[in-house]
Amino acid sequence: MISTDSWAEFTQSAESPLAPAAQWKQTTGGKVIGHLLPDVPPEIIYAAGALPVALKGAGIPITRAQQHIPGYSCSHAMGLLELGLLDRLGDLDGVVIPYTCDTTRNLFHIWSQRFPNLKNEFLRLPKSVDYDPARAYAAAEFKRLFLSLCAFTDAEPDEAHLNSVIDIYEGARAKLRGLYHQAFDHPAEQRAKYLYAAIQAFSVMPIESFTQTLDQTAWGDAPAADNWIPIYIKGKIMDPPALPELFGELKLKIARDDLVDGYRMIETPAVDGPDPFLRLADRFRNTTPYAGYHIEPRAAAERFLARVKESSAAGVVFLNPQFCEAAGFDTPDFKKTLDGAGIPSLVLETSSRGVSMSRLRLRLEAFREMLEDN
Amino acid sequence: MQPIKTLGRLKRINIEYYGNAHQARQNGKFIAYVNAFTPVELLYAMDVIPVYPENHAAIIGARKQAPEVCEAAEGMGYSGDLCSYARCDLGSIRTGVSPTWGLPKPDLLVISNSQCGTLTKWFEVLSRHYNAPMFLIDVPHSGDGERDIAAESYVRGNLERLIRVVEGITGKPLDPDRLTESIRLSKEASDLWARVLETGAARPAPMTVFDQFISMAPIVAQRGTQVPVDFYGELLVELEDRVANGVGACSDERYRLFWDNLPIWPELRRLSEFLDSRGAALVASVYTWAWSRLAVNEEDPLTDWTNQYLYTANLHLNRRVDEYVEIAKKFQLDGFLYHSNRSCKYVSQDIPEVRRLVSSRTGAPGVILEADHNDSRSYTIERLEDQIGEFLGMLGSGKTRAGAVGPAPS
Ligand code: SF4
Ligand code: SF4
Repeated sequence: MISTDSWAEFTQSAESPLAPAAQWKQTTGGKVIGHLLPDVPPEIIYAAGALPVALKGAGIPITRAQQHIPGYSCSHAMGLLELGLLDRLGDLDGVVIPYTCDTTRNLFHIWSQRFPNLKNEFLRLPKSVDYDPARAYAAAEFKRLFLSLCAFTDAEPDEAHLNSVIDIYEGARAKLRGLYHQAFDHPAEQRAKYLYAAIQAFSVMPIESFTQTLDQTAWGDAPAADNWIPIYIKGKIMDPPALPELFGELKLKIARDDLVDGYRMIETPAVDGPDPFLRLADRFRNTTPYAGYHIEPRAAAERFLARVKESSAAGVVFLNPQFCEAAGFDTPDFKKTLDGAGIPSLVLETSSRGVSMSRLRLRLEAFREMLEDN
Repeated sequence: MQPIKTLGRLKRINIEYYGNAHQARQNGKFIAYVNAFTPVELLYAMDVIPVYPENHAAIIGARKQAPEVCEAAEGMGYSGDLCSYARCDLGSIRTGVSPTWGLPKPDLLVISNSQCGTLTKWFEVLSRHYNAPMFLIDVPHSGDGERDIAAESYVRGNLERLIRVVEGITGKPLDPDRLTESIRLSKEASDLWARVLETGAARPAPMTVFDQFISMAPIVAQRGTQVPVDFYGELLVELEDRVANGVGACSDERYRLFWDNLPIWPELRRLSEFLDSRGAALVASVYTWAWSRLAVNEEDPLTDWTNQYLYTANLHLNRRVDEYVEIAKKFQLDGFLYHSNRSCKYVSQDIPEVRRLVSSRTGAPGVILEADHNDSRSYTIERLEDQIGEFLGMLGSGKTRAGAVGPAPS
């Protein structure tokens, strides 16, 4: 069983992601920098003296955003804009938007027009992650961001300090990886819910208090793990956010995911080295490529299949945000590759207009039955 | 509407182009699939014929074949929310429906993400399908378009590598003299195309944006050869003659409008006739202007391409707005038709901001028309006509004309 008390702080952070930042700001008087996922290194923001807070737009009901961005945009982008327009991001002093797709490219411009008083940065990530010169370019870009944020916060740019901040974050990532694997080895109904809450908390809480809480947190005893079916989740973001709970209820255990607010955020350790920017560039390039990046096309499908097989998942759930071109183009070929290997898969599309949980449940139940029969 | 005679040559030009592409192998040439911001002059100089799956899809759209092939792509698992050019292309491969006898199989796919990210993903699908190598010219988007030295060296490195990759495929080194000649022809064609477009500043405009859309094909696909030089040279002579004689493309030009974004290919004729019947001429569009700016200099083409892809081709909102404001003055615009194109999120998502900024700086109003460049299932033409009709009514009533750029319509 799980002692829910020890996880309460994480679930609260997941439910009110801006609350820890508001408190931190009040206590320290420091600046808060929000960042859209994926691949903005929080270490850069933290070492520049500000609090990094990951922002997610998925699951936000849209009432105003469509006046500034067309309704055929993904929920991630529309939701973020909505939060800003509703003044629910009032504690932010700046926002970093990464170049992952055409939508984030446009979102940056729209955002900058709407919120010109914030420190807005566009992180110019390379897309050819396997191409060797992408390493030097990514490192230079991380350095540019660091210097720009230091200038904003009046912090002295200190690369040694950045290196030590990377180590602190790495410690937390390693522990989260441990929890992730334990949750898989010893599944229990609420575990996925708490696990993803903890990963979410990692992306919004001050790292010291997160680590402190994490140190006091452990899974309790789990009942005998019978009848759980391992699945792989491929996609962008855990949307709707209640999905982990649903997976738990249906006894589907997550062998591996490559979501930007899931395992992908913690999967790759930054290896030691004197240059913090190269460390971050290497971590970025070694992380499972998100659909918006480019690797050799046949290798992309084969590497995906290898990851699925390695995870021992019995089936794959594609979690595709509606209007996401990056995910939409990959899915048919990747699904075909899985079919060829005899691995069943299910494609779910999420939307800024919301999805019906009961419909999702029905589809997942049917998928589970299929996996059982397989 | 008095037709432009030179446009009659286009059919043959296009047939020959696709015919040559299909014959490439017999003629010792190679095929590369490309997109807008790729150095086609370099490819022509290396015996590689550039082929644009986007153009092929546009022809499918103009022939009103999109619903049929899009449905086929959707049946393959491609969401109906993906760019309809890609769906048309993939559906055409599946069904064999194509006005150009399909496209020849590529030896290489070259893509630059200075345009959209969609093309990268679409080409990845094609690369797997044809088992052909793919080369991405990776162009980081610089946010506000400010100089980025690290990105310059990164993009230039990509281009240097591209040359080595193409040399590997053709088995021949790049001949600098052939590249120089191809660049010279490209510059000449681009200059002529710019002059063709500039005739739109005349009152009445001798050619509308609808005709520009139709006549773009040679500058897109054959830049770096003699074909567009000859075609645009002849077209320019005819247009200058029309200007001298006061012959307008619109029967009774009262409103001068800008078209933003890609055309709605299946509705070109219908919208053209609709606007003509209401005295409205589309006189400028950035979509057609873009092709006049892709030429480079012979001295250091790699640096020119790098700067072009990073700073000119990449869409930066403020630069885009500056450009529209300049065009509004030069072409004495009365208003803007913004095509909010469901398929092309890349050019469409910031249109509400563009419209707001452009209107506040020029006083010229704009209307947003939500449609799709190819897939006629996602809009109704009657609704678009109603919207445009209302907009013209507003322009005519003068209600929105305070501070408008250019003289009031008579
Ligand atoms: S990659 Fe997809 S989900 Fe992510 S911001 Fe872009 S369109 Fe949205
Ligand atoms: S998204 Fe736009 S630019 Fe990209 S392929 Fe489609 S139409 Fe072309």
